[in-house]
Amino acid sequence: MTSKYENQHAQWEKEADQVTERFPERKSLFETSSHITVERLYSPNEIDKTYMDKLGFPGQYPYTRGIQPTMYRSRYWTMRQYAGFGSAKETNERFRYLLDQGQTGLSVAFDLPTQIGYDSDDPMAEGEVGKVGVAIDSLADMETLFDQIPLDKVSTSMTINAPASVLLCMYIAVGEKQGVPKEKLTGTIQNDILKEYIARGTYIYPPKPSMRIITDIFAYCQEHLPRFNTISISGYHIREAGSTAVQELAFTIANGMAYVDAALASGLDIDQFAPRLAFFFNAHNQFFEEVAKFRAARRIWAKIMKEHYQAQNPKSWKLRFHTQTGGSTLTAQQPDNNIVRVAIQALSAVMGGTQSLHTNSRDEALALPTEESARIALRTQQIIAHESGVADTVDPLAGSYYVEKLTDNMEKEVTDYLQQISDLGGAVQAIEEGFMQREIHYAAYQSQKAIEQREEIIVGMNQFKIEEEVNEELLRVDEKLEKQQIKKTQSVRTERDAIAVEQALNRIRKASQQTTINLMPLILDAVKAYATVGEICNVLRNEYGEYTGM
Amino acid sequence: MEHKQIRVLIAKPGLDGHDRGALVIAQALRDHGMEVIYTGLRQSPQQIVQAAIQEDVDVIGLSSLSGAHNSLFPKVIEELKKHNAEDIPVIGGGVIPYEDIPPLEKQGIHKIFTPGTPTEETALYIKRILQPEQTSSLTPPEKLAHIGIAVNSIEQALPFYTNALGLRLTGVEEVASEQVKVAFVEIGETQIELLEPTDDNSPIAKFMEKRGEGIHHIAVEVTDIEERLRHYKEKGISLIHDTPKLGAHQSQVAFLHPKATNGVLMELCQLEKEEE
Repeated sequence: MTSKYENQHAQWEKEADQVTERFPERKSLFETSSHITVERLYSPNEIDKTYMDKLGFPGQYPYTRGIQPTMYRSRYWTMRQYAGFGSAKETNERFRYLLDQGQTGLSVAFDLPTQIGYDSDDPMAEGEVGKVGVAIDSLADMETLFDQIPLDKVSTSMTINAPASVLLCMYIAVGEKQGVPKEKLTGTIQNDILKEYIARGTYIYPPKPSMRIITDIFAYCQEHLPRFNTISISGYHIREAGSTAVQELAFTIANGMAYVDAALASGLDIDQFAPRLAFFFNAHNQFFEEVAKFRAARRIWAKIMKEHYQAQNPKSWKLRFHTQTGGSTLTAQQPDNNIVRVAIQALSAVMGGTQSLHTNSRDEALALPTEESARIALRTQQIIAHESGVADTVDPLAGSYYVEKLTDNMEKEVTDYLQQISDLGGAVQAIEEGFMQREIHYAAYQSQKAIEQREEIIVGMNQFKIEEEVNEELLRVDEKLEKQQIKKTQSVRTERDAIAVEQALNRIRKASQQTTINLMPLILDAVKAYATVGEICNVLRNEYGEYTGM
Repeated sequence: MEHKQIRVLIAKPGLDGHDRGALVIAQALRDHGMEVIYTGLRQSPQQIVQAAIQEDVDVIGLSSLSGAHNSLFPKVIEELKKHNAEDIPVIGGGVIPYEDIPPLEKQGIHKIFTPGTPTEETALYIKRILQPEQTSSLTPPEKLAHIGIAVNSIEQALPFYTNALGLRLTGVEEVASEQVKVAFVEIGETQIELLEPTDDNSPIAKFMEKRGEGIHHIAVEVTDIEERLRHYKEKGISLIHDTPKLGAHQSQVAFLHPKATNGVLMELCQLEKEEE
């Protein structure tokens, strides 16, 4: 008996064949160690309406089983380790080391002054230069950062939010110098200001002008950087701030809807910008809940985009996401145990169908990772990919009574939260009222209490403790770096064409209050004239004011 | 004794935006009955100290996860000194490598709490440094163990106590460490201890040289004598003995300096635990 549901299966097979023509499967035959054949996909014998509504086939709406028909049978997820510390030169060396070690994409960590739009010589930057990431003041630093790294060959993810426009323009300018046209650049800017207000704290301007800059970026990239992800809507930091898995997903999707609303309000077409929206989630300790979270995320977003926003392009329905293992799950005690935690968390991301993955290093509860720790973290992903066999069939946990039920529960609870947020007037309003912040802090405190009362066991921390020698080899950022960076930036300032900089900054100032003008080309001009991150952000800071928190 | 509520300033120096720890600790300290003021993000050392003084806080807690602690924490101390407010203790926490802790403490940070520290521990630490008398787990002495009276001769003194007063003699022994012979007579719940020097250089002999016979000391019965001595010492109470010595009846004893007790020599006395 053939039904319309079986036709869907045939449709999936056709799509899978098309994909494998472009991206052949890694092996002609996938087998277990006992030579049992591993099929591309396992599905229930009877494909019925419930299956199609809830799961569908991989690459088919609502994408619960993954956004591609063959998933990791053709290509593994992108192994993308977040790195960056000290000077652009040091970070460039770490990048080239990671690429040599088999990493397939770059992910740039910027220091806090860069993330908050201060130059290294700003008094606010004191003590912070190069500490949690690389210090970038001007295009000169960006040129050093990507020295000998061909921008048409790597994709680069940049964890930058409030000044995302400036750093993206610097990336474009470096590409141009390398002879790589904008159209060929691939990568992601985080550009997610809403979660900064909620959880991460590197905001500059108030929500309204921030949202305007973001939609300017959407519009500019739609036209000039079609392969670049214009935003990475992030639950990661919400989870790190102490939320539950449900809250992570609910608040991220609520924020995502706020960006869609803002872009629509600015006149953009949903099927133009929505395919470039990307997501970023946390992989935490509870394995099955995390898998369910990732699967539910795809289903919820697909439904929202198709049903609520009426997007027509299937690319607009697909939730693509990067994952990072949960930093706050790492313990300072017995740090080698963290390797195991990270492996389990990473496995949940792979079982959940992530597009790219960062695995944390064992020593990150104490400092930035050493080269050795960073290598083990990358090796963890490679072991999952090459040795475990979990990537040989698509969505292997589908059909588990437990996982499917958890996925349904996750969807239900997230939907309830979305309703609450919508009743408050949407994500921006909910943030301004402190709703999400309160929910997260409550959850964080409950979990701290559970740990202290040992209702929740953290191995090596509140149980199974040992006397430890504290003789860890940790990465230290050279304190001299701050002075060197200041010197470099000051010499850039004396060498550049001061009048050109002044004019470029003035043009930004004038355009800042006119929403009909896209700021991006003006920022690109300023960046090319070697105007600094701080100078450009200060122009906008003066115009827009600063967000001062709750 | 009634104590005013402890006021705490929790502050995020520098540009770091990770405030989960700061918020959790703030909530935990509130649950411990403290009043907590949270500065919010991105505070300069100047702003932090200004807030501490304005809010009249008893302690400042700094949180940093960005690696800027080595330069920012000492700046807060410097700033406190500038404002003659260095009596406000400063504690810190966050992502801080172990080897950074001693230099930070040397520069005046009271204590650094590393990841995984229960909030309870931080709360108790704050109470301990601010209200030591309240927070000690040591229970106050409950009983006067004895009153010590210096006498030239037990043999001559004893009949008054046993015959005239009709008290019961419970024992006579020599305490070699103090070069003294002692006799105990029971009086209700407590005892009178008659002390007779066995050597001219003994403390009791010296006492009588100066002051003649008379009340020499009072002894209170305590538990946890070693910890108690440590605790008193931390609080700056003058001690004659830092660690307990063997006293009569296998008890452990130590003397507090009369400076600390308005001129009365006070003995702490922990009776030997009875075998169960």
